[in-house]
Amino acid sequence: MEWKLFANLAETAGRKDIALDLDDDATVEDALEALFERHPDLQAEVYENGELAEHIRLLVDGTDPFATADGYETRLDADAELALFPPVSGG
Amino acid sequence: MSLGLDQTQLDRYSRHIILDHVGPAGQAALLNSSVLVVGAGGLGSPIVQYLAAAGVGRLGIVDDDRVERSNLQRQVVHGESDIGRLKVESAAEFVAELNPDVTVETHDLRVAPDNAMELIDGYDVVVDATDNFRTRFLLNDACVLTETPLSHGAVYRFEGQVTTFEREEGSPCYRCLFPEAPPEGAVPDCATAGVLGVVPGLIGTIQATEVIKLLIEYGETLDGRLWNVDAAGMDVETVPLRRNPDCPVCGDDPAVTAIEDVKYADRCRAPSE
Repeated sequence: MEWKLFANLAETAGRKDIALDLDDDATVEDALEALFERHPDLQAEVYENGELAEHIRLLVDGTDPFATADGYETRLDADAELALFPPVSGG
Repeated sequence: MSLGLDQTQLDRYSRHIILDHVGPAGQAALLNSSVLVVGAGGLGSPIVQYLAAAGVGRLGIVDDDRVERSNLQRQVVHGESDIGRLKVESAAEFVAELNPDVTVETHDLRVAPDNAMELIDGYDVVVDATDNFRTRFLLNDACVLTETPLSHGAVYRFEGQVTTFEREEGSPCYRCLFPEAPPEGAVPDCATAGVLGVVPGLIGTIQATEVIKLLIEYGETLDGRLWNVDAAGMDVETVPLRRNPDCPVCGDDPAVTAIEDVKYADRCRAPSE
């Protein structure tokens, strides 16, 4: 599976695409933990009080697992594409 | 079939008129349409330019800022001699010079909860070309409440994002993507982050393209898709975007039923259920 990071999150990680090799039964939480393990600075930007910050959007193959699946417990396909977005406001 | 187009217009818009899917009917639709562009800055400049060139008959432009020298690196509707002038005046002058078919309505003001509904009333499409979350959420909520299509664009350094909220059955809205604004300072703005001047041009021209497609009723808009471009690596990512049934504004049981329900402070927090 692969993470795609946008805007300041990609800058913090120093890259936009991060491929992960996780077990078959990995969840969104596992993918987040693996991401933070590799890029510890991201955690402070993405998490607020131990949870995904309200303003950060996490998508699994284009859908929000917190709205449509099991949130952190959502199971991921081996080829899942995960995205982390902050809103941007420049105009 | 001229659909009321005069000789000068047949000449001016000839490349539209000979184009399948625009033609005289599409051009007449553009001339009879109205668009409100909120923000006459980096995004708003190309949007105003292309919508005016296309012959959008009534163009509202909203901005309360004056032109500064630091704007000119990206806000291409303004020039050196406009420094210090109201952006809406400078933009209106550009349109008058470009296309006399376009009636410009200038609004030298900041969109606020007490004027948003009145401001967008009567426009076919609203374009969010602003530079702050407060106005973005306010426009989104007003457009959902009035079922007005909204074009969204935003930029950050070398990156931009753009989508269209058609307000058709099942369309998502901006709050489906981001329920509320980030805490102040969490995401740097253009003034602190910088922006490559051409990036709002890229995003703004896509917004103008989307608006024209809506007005001529042709093609597929970005409704349900968030288009991200990174000009540094020339990477384009299209992320599907779905309506959130729990969305505070367009969801099944919305907490927001009037602009007055929302406190449009820095975080634009919608009331909890």
